[in-house]
Amino acid sequence: MSHGFRFTRGAVSALGIAAIVSLAVSGCSSPGTPAPAESAKSGGSLVVGVTSDPDTLFPWKATQFQAVNVLQNVYGTLTEFDGDLNVVPGLAESWDASEDGLTVTLKLREGVTFADGSTFGSEDAVSSLTKIQEQATAAVSRSALASVTAIEASDENTVLLTLSAPDAALPASLAVINMAMLSSDDTEEALNTTPNGTGAYSFDTRAANQSITLVKNTAYWGDEPTLKSVEFRVIPDESSIVSAMQSGNVQMAVFDDPLVAQTAESGTITIAKTPQLSYHALQLNATRGDLTDVNVRLAISCAIDRQEVLDTAALGEGEVTGPITSPAYKSDTDARPCPERDLKKAAAYLAKAGKADGVTIKTIVSQGEYATSVNESQNLKAQLAEAKITLDVETLESGAYVDRWIAGDFDAAVALNGGRPDPDGMYGRYFTSTGNLNKVAGYSSPELDALFAEGRASSDPKDRAAIYEKVSAELEDNAAWVWLFTSYSYTATDSAVQGFVPMANGSLQYLRTTTVN
Amino acid sequence: MTDLAPAPVGPTRRTGSVAAGRLHALLRSPSGLSGAIIVSLLVLLTFASYFSLLPYEPIAQDPPSRLLAPSFTHLFGTDQFGRDVFSRVSAGVANSALIAVVAVTFATVIGTMGGLIAGFFRGIPDAAIGGVTNVLFAFPPLLLALALVSVFDRNWFTIAVAIAIVYVPIFIRVTRGPVLSLREIEYVKAATSTGASRIAVMMRHVLPNITSIIIIQVTLSLSWAVLTEASLSFLGLGAPPPTPSLGSMIFEARTLVYIAPWTMIAPGVIVVLLVVGLNLLGDGLRDTLDPRNKGKR
Amino acid sequence: MLKTFSHNSVVHRIGAAALTLFGVAIFVFIMLRAIPGNQITAGLGTEAAALTPAQKLALEQYYGLDQPLVVQFFSWLGNLFTGNLGFSSRAQQSVLDLTVAALPVTFELAIFSIILALLIGIPLGMLSASKPDSPRDALGQIVGLAGLSIPAFLLATALLSGLASSLGFNPNGQAFAPLFSDPLLNLQQMLLPSLVLGFGIAAPIMRTTRTAVLEVRSNDFIRTARAKGVPPRRLQLKHVLGNALVPIVTMTGLQFGYLLGGAVVVEQIFSLPGIGRQVLLGIQQKEYALVQSTVLVIALTFVIVNLLTDLTYRLIDPRVRAS
Repeated sequence: MSHGFRFTRGAVSALGIAAIVSLAVSGCSSPGTPAPAESAKSGGSLVVGVTSDPDTLFPWKATQFQAVNVLQNVYGTLTEFDGDLNVVPGLAESWDASEDGLTVTLKLREGVTFADGSTFGSEDAVSSLTKIQEQATAAVSRSALASVTAIEASDENTVLLTLSAPDAALPASLAVINMAMLSSDDTEEALNTTPNGTGAYSFDTRAANQSITLVKNTAYWGDEPTLKSVEFRVIPDESSIVSAMQSGNVQMAVFDDPLVAQTAESGTITIAKTPQLSYHALQLNATRGDLTDVNVRLAISCAIDRQEVLDTAALGEGEVTGPITSPAYKSDTDARPCPERDLKKAAAYLAKAGKADGVTIKTIVSQGEYATSVNESQNLKAQLAEAKITLDVETLESGAYVDRWIAGDFDAAVALNGGRPDPDGMYGRYFTSTGNLNKVAGYSSPELDALFAEGRASSDPKDRAAIYEKVSAELEDNAAWVWLFTSYSYTATDSAVQGFVPMANGSLQYLRTTTVN
Repeated sequence: MTDLAPAPVGPTRRTGSVAAGRLHALLRSPSGLSGAIIVSLLVLLTFASYFSLLPYEPIAQDPPSRLLAPSFTHLFGTDQFGRDVFSRVSAGVANSALIAVVAVTFATVIGTMGGLIAGFFRGIPDAAIGGVTNVLFAFPPLLLALALVSVFDRNWFTIAVAIAIVYVPIFIRVTRGPVLSLREIEYVKAATSTGASRIAVMMRHVLPNITSIIIIQVTLSLSWAVLTEASLSFLGLGAPPPTPSLGSMIFEARTLVYIAPWTMIAPGVIVVLLVVGLNLLGDGLRDTLDPRNKGKR
Repeated sequence: MLKTFSHNSVVHRIGAAALTLFGVAIFVFIMLRAIPGNQITAGLGTEAAALTPAQKLALEQYYGLDQPLVVQFFSWLGNLFTGNLGFSSRAQQSVLDLTVAALPVTFELAIFSIILALLIGIPLGMLSASKPDSPRDALGQIVGLAGLSIPAFLLATALLSGLASSLGFNPNGQAFAPLFSDPLLNLQQMLLPSLVLGFGIAAPIMRTTRTAVLEVRSNDFIRTARAKGVPPRRLQLKHVLGNALVPIVTMTGLQFGYLLGGAVVVEQIFSLPGIGRQVLLGIQQKEYALVQSTVLVIALTFVIVNLLTDLTYRLIDPRVRAS
């Protein structure tokens, strides 16, 4: 489940439906006031409104969409993603693996300072990575460093990582905000109120439940950030955000709900669609009941017209997808056992499983985590009924759903899961027998274990592409889950906003190149 | 002490002719008549929905015909899933009415009994019931309903129970005051002194005298319940989709209002009609039943 | 009746209020724990599945969830008496500070709404009552019905989006301005929400006024006054309205109390950082201490408003004064 999606359906809880981020001219005392001329040169002052306050300002624990969006602009990471999700240098200028792949040398950028003026160096990098590994920190990215056995500084700007096994996914893992580099002098308690990072913008002020303001970090190591300041303003109701855009108070917003985006599109407001890495799926728990039989799972997979699910649940706004959604490793949907819905094949699979009379599968679905969940389940139920598969839908409050999902206590689950640029980071934790989410995935096999290990050991992009194609095939041929579709995010911008690049992982890092006239 | 005690009437004996007379009087008052007509029309829709007489299945999705404007095939148009808005509104009235009726029934029965017992027996029962009432009253009502709905699996029944719990204290308050004054009335005292059991006196002599107050409160509460359900839907805690309820339909249509206004206008108008109808009916009933209104016209 | 002001009675009422608040405290505490999920899963969502047992324990200790429920309850209650309402880890502020910021917003909104409601409701009610079953009565009744029947969120959304898209008027799209830092903008931001709430509350006030006025007019002393030749306007204002005030004040007090927690939908739509939204956010984030303390504050305010209503009621009730 992508972390942005968690509260009740509704504008109130709009974390759930649409992560909305909006920009507006700040410092205006009335809606019509034009931005001061001098700020136009510097790129202007933006107000970034959100449907909710960040739930934490501590980057290692931030999974909420709004929190990630703010912190991404405040903190720096060793590596970064560019607009196409390629891993590029961040606070580390280079990273080189030894011949055997068991030692990684990170060369840190020199002359980087934190917002408080202190210098970033290997001591900070080592302390950050070490603390992320400590259990007591409860950092959410801890498992991404599972292969790292030792972290040491060889000089002021060089960090050596010793690995238990080669890990080609490591550079991508280091690029997420949960791997942010913190000053070794800082504590979680201090950072909760006063973030201190190396990002393009630095923390200025916060009014709880109302707004957070960032200002340009003039000492930023990269190109000088364009905006003078960015305010994330809380407007809890998405329709109210649309109104605020129409009245000119808000100039940019990111919506997940196509209908809201459509409503906003008018006059000077344009909408840009960006395909997302997160995917909608019917998770099957292959350790339970009839689903232990691969033929039953395949029957389900063959009985579903994914385009129809997409059309009915999400207005056709999205793309049918296989397991891997990142552009560089995208799964070929024509390669799955039934590229088109095939009821005959479904019936044959059921017969093979000795269940020609049909099966009943219980599924949990969350009401309110995201807009389309219940509609997806209704359409799936209708389609599967035609294949003698009864989908018993249990609709749960989001809190109850999360509890059941975490415990792996379900036969099937209608889910919207977050995607990652690197397929190992995305699925290694689910579908390897030792993965920390394997209990939730409900499926693993020696073949998959071997393939994931191979993928981590190989650093050649071509080889890796071939390996993850096999992973895709393995997942689809065994119908580990039923992958359905990916959706878009919709960036609504006023004509005054220029230079923003929306990203498939939802990141707002390109606020650093955005200007407002 | 916030209640206005009714001028007591003597023990009433309800007969068919009295009831018929009351009905006649109700239908003669303009508000009563219009309320009765509106509510009956909506009840007809409800029956149509219960007996599957609707033109379309309210939850059946038909992607090719989504967001169609109103026409003869789809009287109120279709929504984003190609569902027939007329059928959904009809089913929505049924569901909203069901929630409201069940909620108010619970609240009426429990609240009236509580108020009767508290007012008639005083002493410890009164203190206990009063204490619970105070707690429930001091709790912000919408937040109370919201929290209750979050605790249990959300379905129409738990929503009804949540709304009922919010309304129980209102019924207790509304009945307790009049009961307090009634127990001091001569004939009630007389009945008690003749050795009739207190419960019998309570049911035979006190209850009938507060019936009109209760009936009025019921119609008012029905309309509040419809609105509360709608507000809960707005907060994302209404009846779960795809089950249509008027509140959740309005809520879902908020994003559609520019491209398909009928998706909001239809349930919006119907919810207002339903509440107006119930209120008018309540007014009519009050005019007819409330002893205080006697001889005012 | 004036005896109710005696020392005993005051003590009794304060005792009852304390009991009520204790009941609210227990009730909200239990109810919150009954809602599935806790602050860890509310914060991390399904990512919480990736936590190791040791990590989970660390988080439970951080949020104080590792304590037995009884300990949690009494340490919260005990802290209340020292003025410590708890800490919101999401906002990184004490609940007291948050409440001190949020309560005035809702209070201001409630006061404006009540004023608007009285301004609309009382004249309309008197107009209706001045000639029952006449066209003007019908007009008053229809306006009243509209107030009762139109869901606040529908009216709020319509007003906000209508004015914003057609006139570009949307003060609520700007950052919230507290009353004392930017009164002009603050009043603009309060305008639409107060209108929406005031319109809704005007309905019960109008109806209460109408009924009360009709009732008072049927009383003998009014007939006597009229027979004595008291001028109609004076009769209307002094005798009729004066005597009808009791139920109106009662209704106003009730509605004011209701607004403290009931304005949440309107606060949400108009982005007002009020107390209702604070509770709602707390429930969503499972910030137990925040919700518990805030609900208790709302309940306390409600109790106080009730008490004040009672006092007013005694002061203006001519029957009480007469005794």
